[in-house]
Amino acid sequence: MVALVLVSTFVVLVLGILVAGLLRSHADILRSLHDLGAGVGDPALDGQTQSVAAHGSAAVAVAAPGSAAPPSPAQSPPLGPAATVAGVTPSGDARAFSVTNTDGFTLLAFLSSGCATCAGFWDALQRPGVVDLPGRSRTVIVTKGPDREVPSEVRAVANGRVPVVMSTEAWIDYQVPGSPFFVLVDGSTGAKVGQGVASHVGQLADLVRRAEHDRNAPGTTGAPAGQRRGGDAGLDGPAREAAADEVLRAAGIHPGDPSLYPRTLEDVFPHGTPFPPGGSSRANGTAAARD
Amino acid sequence: MATIGAHGITARLPDGFEGRIFVRPAVVGSTYPVAQFATFALPEDTGDFGSGAVSVMGPGDVFATLFEYGPESLGTALFARQGRPATLSTTDFSPTMLRRGIPGQSGTQWFFTEAGRPFSFYAVLGSHALRASLVPRVNTLLGALGVSPAASDTPGPQWN
Repeated sequence: MVALVLVSTFVVLVLGILVAGLLRSHADILRSLHDLGAGVGDPALDGQTQSVAAHGSAAVAVAAPGSAAPPSPAQSPPLGPAATVAGVTPSGDARAFSVTNTDGFTLLAFLSSGCATCAGFWDALQRPGVVDLPGRSRTVIVTKGPDREVPSEVRAVANGRVPVVMSTEAWIDYQVPGSPFFVLVDGSTGAKVGQGVASHVGQLADLVRRAEHDRNAPGTTGAPAGQRRGGDAGLDGPAREAAADEVLRAAGIHPGDPSLYPRTLEDVFPHGTPFPPGGSSRANGTAAARD
Repeated sequence: MATIGAHGITARLPDGFEGRIFVRPAVVGSTYPVAQFATFALPEDTGDFGSGAVSVMGPGDVFATLFEYGPESLGTALFARQGRPATLSTTDFSPTMLRRGIPGQSGTQWFFTEAGRPFSFYAVLGSHALRASLVPRVNTLLGALGVSPAASDTPGPQWN
């Protein structure tokens, strides 16, 4: 009898140790998941942020209505450089978008032809006036390539108002977890300034507006609004000086030329030249013929 | 470096370039492939030879189009040259070569036959004064183009 009690006590102790170990292991797993940002079942997240994508450990943009304001792009850590999006169109043509050759923003909308959540975005992004994106920004819809999407089904939901490119490679480059997913790229820096999912299109316009506001804020490194990339205003420092020198040399004006040091108005507009002089006009550059 | 290809034309896009290779829907007769490349955001309604695009390009930008003509052009004097030019020089560009003259810009156009297909290559510099720095970009693009003998469309649906 005593032996039986001793054996039972030993078994109970061993089982107790096993249960304690399992509980501790479970706690470690939950803690690790929390650190990774999964937040599964975390009541603190309910009703606040809907499927917000993260880079590193920081949540980015696009929060649900009524929630606390999401961090602005400028407040988030950098998301890294953005790659050119290249693929085919639903009609079989080839298309590549460089997201770094504009001074505006590029909103990449990663959508699928068959996903129910995407249907609203297909409609809204391609209907004029629904998404009020700031000027100098363009939207590109990116589906997976013809190896994963049926081109005819993509053609059925694309109306031609917004460019659509099919590229599985782009989904890989931008590490798209699923659709719908959105990435905002600042063309002046070539960097992703926001990414995530949205529950309605209004959040997209808000994301772009905030990114533009942040870029134009004092102390930021992006190109200020109104400065055209590649234009004279976009050049700075030695590049601008070199460009000006080249234009002057092409016009036969070399260093030390007297015209560079006018003393009077007569030096600038000699021999009765009207002031200001009747100059060239770019009017003939606006002809609309399709050639 | 992104690569695009369609209709028997391929391009390994140099940094900063974007492009498209397409065939316009034929209203009357036949249409042939057009490949357009630019160092700026190409408007969706760009004309074959850049109308709608060259008016928005900056001085530091480049636009180029590779335009295929119909087979009736094969063997004509205009397309006697075999192969596209390997490289272009600054003297090949002139403000008078523009399809639509825009002050400050310059262009060049070459007609040739390559892989049994008649083409013209037309390029525009955003600033003729900056041609020394822009022409090498055009040459990089020229070297990145590929043309195959027969235009091949995207394969149609196939049974698995």
